[in-house]
Amino acid sequence: MRWFAFFSLILVQCSLSAAHSGEEYHEELKLRPLPDGKLAARFAFTTLLKGAIPRAPTNLTVNDESQHYTLFPLAMGQLLREYAITELHLTLNAGKWDYDRWGYPEEPGVGSGAELWTWMGDGAPTSIDERWKAIQNAHAGLFCASLGSMDTQRTTSPTRAFPPTGDLPRLPAPHVHRLRHATLPAEHVCTENLTPFLKLLPCPAHAGIAALLAPHKVFDADWHGLGVHVRWRAGKGVELVMTVQAVFDPVRMSAERKRDWSFHSVFDRTIPRSCPVATTSLIHVELPPPGDGSYTLNPAPSTANQAVATFSISKDLPELDVTMKWGEESRFAYPLDASSTPLSDFSVQRTLKGSSQTHGQLSIVIRNNRPTELSVLYLETMPWHVEFYLHTLRITGPDGQQCNDLFSNMTYTPPVPHAQPAMLQAMLTLPPLTTLRLTMDARKSFLRYTEHPPDAQRGWDLPPAVFVTQSASGGASKRVYTPALLVDLATPDFSMPYNVIIMSCTLIALIFGSLFNILTRRFVVVKVDGNVPKVQ
Amino acid sequence: MSDAVEPRESPLKDPSGLFFEQPRTRRTIVTSYWIVVLLALPLWWSTTSIERLSLPVSRVHSTGLKQLHFPLQVEFDHNASSLSFEALEKETRARFSSLQRQSEGRLDYLDLRFVAIESTAGHPAATGAYGVSIEPSLDRATVRDRHLSVPVNEGATHIPFTLPDRLVSLLSPYTSRHPPGRFEHLVAKYAPRYRLAFTMLNEDAAGGRPVVGWDVQEAISRHLSPILDQVADLHNFTIESQVQFHSPLAFAPYEIKSDNEEIHGLTQEDLKVFVNSAEWTLSSSVSNDPVLHFILFIPSVPHTPLRILDNDHNPTSSNAFILPQWGGIVLLNLPPDTSSPPHLSEGDLAHTFSIFRTQLLKLLGVSDLPAGVEPADTHLPLTKWQLDTLYRQRAIENAHSSQETLQSIIKLVDQISNMPVGEGVRGDIQNALTALNMVYTVGWQSPIQALRHSSEALTHASRAFFNPGMLALLYFPAEHKYAVYTPLFAPVAVPLVVTALRELSAWRKSRRVATETKT
Repeated sequence: MRWFAFFSLILVQCSLSAAHSGEEYHEELKLRPLPDGKLAARFAFTTLLKGAIPRAPTNLTVNDESQHYTLFPLAMGQLLREYAITELHLTLNAGKWDYDRWGYPEEPGVGSGAELWTWMGDGAPTSIDERWKAIQNAHAGLFCASLGSMDTQRTTSPTRAFPPTGDLPRLPAPHVHRLRHATLPAEHVCTENLTPFLKLLPCPAHAGIAALLAPHKVFDADWHGLGVHVRWRAGKGVELVMTVQAVFDPVRMSAERKRDWSFHSVFDRTIPRSCPVATTSLIHVELPPPGDGSYTLNPAPSTANQAVATFSISKDLPELDVTMKWGEESRFAYPLDASSTPLSDFSVQRTLKGSSQTHGQLSIVIRNNRPTELSVLYLETMPWHVEFYLHTLRITGPDGQQCNDLFSNMTYTPPVPHAQPAMLQAMLTLPPLTTLRLTMDARKSFLRYTEHPPDAQRGWDLPPAVFVTQSASGGASKRVYTPALLVDLATPDFSMPYNVIIMSCTLIALIFGSLFNILTRRFVVVKVDGNVPKVQ
Repeated sequence: MSDAVEPRESPLKDPSGLFFEQPRTRRTIVTSYWIVVLLALPLWWSTTSIERLSLPVSRVHSTGLKQLHFPLQVEFDHNASSLSFEALEKETRARFSSLQRQSEGRLDYLDLRFVAIESTAGHPAATGAYGVSIEPSLDRATVRDRHLSVPVNEGATHIPFTLPDRLVSLLSPYTSRHPPGRFEHLVAKYAPRYRLAFTMLNEDAAGGRPVVGWDVQEAISRHLSPILDQVADLHNFTIESQVQFHSPLAFAPYEIKSDNEEIHGLTQEDLKVFVNSAEWTLSSSVSNDPVLHFILFIPSVPHTPLRILDNDHNPTSSNAFILPQWGGIVLLNLPPDTSSPPHLSEGDLAHTFSIFRTQLLKLLGVSDLPAGVEPADTHLPLTKWQLDTLYRQRAIENAHSSQETLQSIIKLVDQISNMPVGEGVRGDIQNALTALNMVYTVGWQSPIQALRHSSEALTHASRAFFNPGMLALLYFPAEHKYAVYTPLFAPVAVPLVVTALRELSAWRKSRRVATETKT
């Protein structure tokens, strides 16, 4: 027994002191020419803290060990340790990802606005919600985004749609890991977010692949987004992946309306030199399918197969400017049948109908594009401002018949006014090549005077719904975000309080005055004899 | 009352005969309205006024008048010396009081006492006392704990000439070796916990010869840990380190072409703007503890070698500088020809970290030993003389600044009549005062206790000062209140007052009539 205690003490000591055994940095750029002439780019900067373990929440009571980092950003490492975060995902996106035309993104988190979700273990002296609040504030400071407004009115815990992407370390008996998730659809992403983002990279903006990230080009793209993902991979360590995704439109940018692109035309930069600390530094260009015109790729890739050409940036490589040209095309011809051959398995449209300020109807039109039956997880998070009448939930098939049985395994967390959002998770079965229509009545709440945002007339952005494909074959499930909605709630005239004060004061004064007068008035009889009235 | 007994006709003919038309009833109604209004006034007052607890003003002022005194007992062991104790005492006192005059009252807290003892060397001195002995066997002056041992002759100088100077210098090092004001300017403000951030900056790693790693943990534990352990009573430390690979300077270094090489130099003005806070990610946001930065800067290949220039733009031999209260910077020029190691080993860092150690001591306010005096035990880099002076200095500083903070709270609350003062603020102020009193009572006995209490006082005082509750109603002007109240109170008050006056005059009239009819 004593030996056991001694041994476990040594184990604890080891896990406390041996912070990590090395660091690795990988950078990667994936370019994908899309059928509609656009170019999808995804940058991934991966830093691996080998052998590191997320801080156990029970250890938050003791002083943390010294933190020494070479490649891993210190600011990020401190946040992860300070709040004992096991897994964290932050995305800041702008625009609407067109799944039908662009297919699935490399990074699934493409919902517009800001999205933050973390997995944290409990058992710490501070509660998970306190740490969640602190994480928001810390990341808001780190990335210059107003994440601090992700309060309890926006926080949910949709564990089925957002399972951990890495591993969760085992916690002592009663403690478990919990999810916190919040979105801010109205948050804008801009240069002030990219600058601190780049500062966290070992080679920011002057060497390696990150050199391509010129803010004015990235934010000019049709769709763009930043992402920070931290996960723990058992046996490997803590992995930080920082991503930038963008969909550029070379046709719009070129004078001849061609889809030819080069680093210079798309990013306005080239890669001048390699990042000296990157273990691997790769650029993948996905090659268009055969039959999509003949193209040339310059310079020659390091390796290439049927689908992907890969450039490896090495130390002695001269300045790199990858160019792709369709020589025979004089002008890009947009595909006319783009909508008939969607790249995604299913297409979703989500709208909030109704013009009144008190009632509306949420309507979702979802079409299965595949000749096989699909089963998707539907997640709807709604701030309490919009309350659903769950009994009005109807699913109608293409010929108008009701088929509510396609909806199964439903969990619903009702909203708490002024406190907590509603969350609906359910499985939805999509028959092959069919369009389903899902409707639900909603009530729009009347807000308190102080609950309105500064730009109250703009309306409220509602978070996107999320659909998660459940593949039967066991492949990775994909998250699909719908566009965010805007709801117009009854907005008062904001000079109202003073008017109300005046109005109610007048009323009170009036009532008081007449009552008081009646109680204290002296009544006299006036004799009218035709003569002068005589008053007593 | 008299008209109430008039003969009755039909009440409709004479309404004054109705019970609710009798003056008595009417007066009761009016009075009860007024009673309700008057009773409601205190309630209204208490619900609309802000909480302003009274502060212990007189206690704050009386603590402000107190002075800290640290007795310094110097025990002179004149067993084995020819030196006369009286001469030494006289000489030392003379030096000390001249220093006190120069320092404009900043040394008044020290009370020197001299005691002559006859004992053998190694005899444990009284707690907290400083021992001085002359030992002919020594060849140089050494300090062990609180004991200074000096040889009889040191080279050509005879000891009696240097001993008083050294004593004064050891007892009040800050004023005897620094011009007034300069020292306070350099030392970081006291905090119970500092973060030590070590950063290795490659000016441009991609440009060639990057240094991709350093054995920072080993270097810290070898060069800095002994010091950090010794000052553990003063401060706790959080240590962190990072490496950056692209950290450009905000200015172009000055170029000097000498006969065979080109030197890049930092002028004295450049040093002030050396830290490029726009591009370098040095700070982070997880805690509010003050940070002391230690930066190892590796210039890019085109900027190597980088030197510090003097005022005439001539290169100096120094390669490090301190930014007051912020941290220290060391320039490391890699040798140009050799294929330099991409990783700095502990041996490569030895010089850098010995500079960091000096800079850390300066920033923490640790005084140097006077010239010619060495610590006897090399494992403990700081002697008790140095630590005691530091405790005293920090205790004085903290006590002083918490007094100032308390006084400014009193002043602020006094000036702004709308400022709420809650239980938290008052509690903090009282705790600060209690801790301050402890400083003055315990300070006599041990400087370290005084330091602890003064640090506690400072924490409470600044927490009270920054209490967010004090700002709550600061911007709620009186005009606003009147604007809200007038529409209600004016229409209500007019009938109340008018009726009251009318009834009063009617009552007086009826009384006059009654007295006239009686007489």
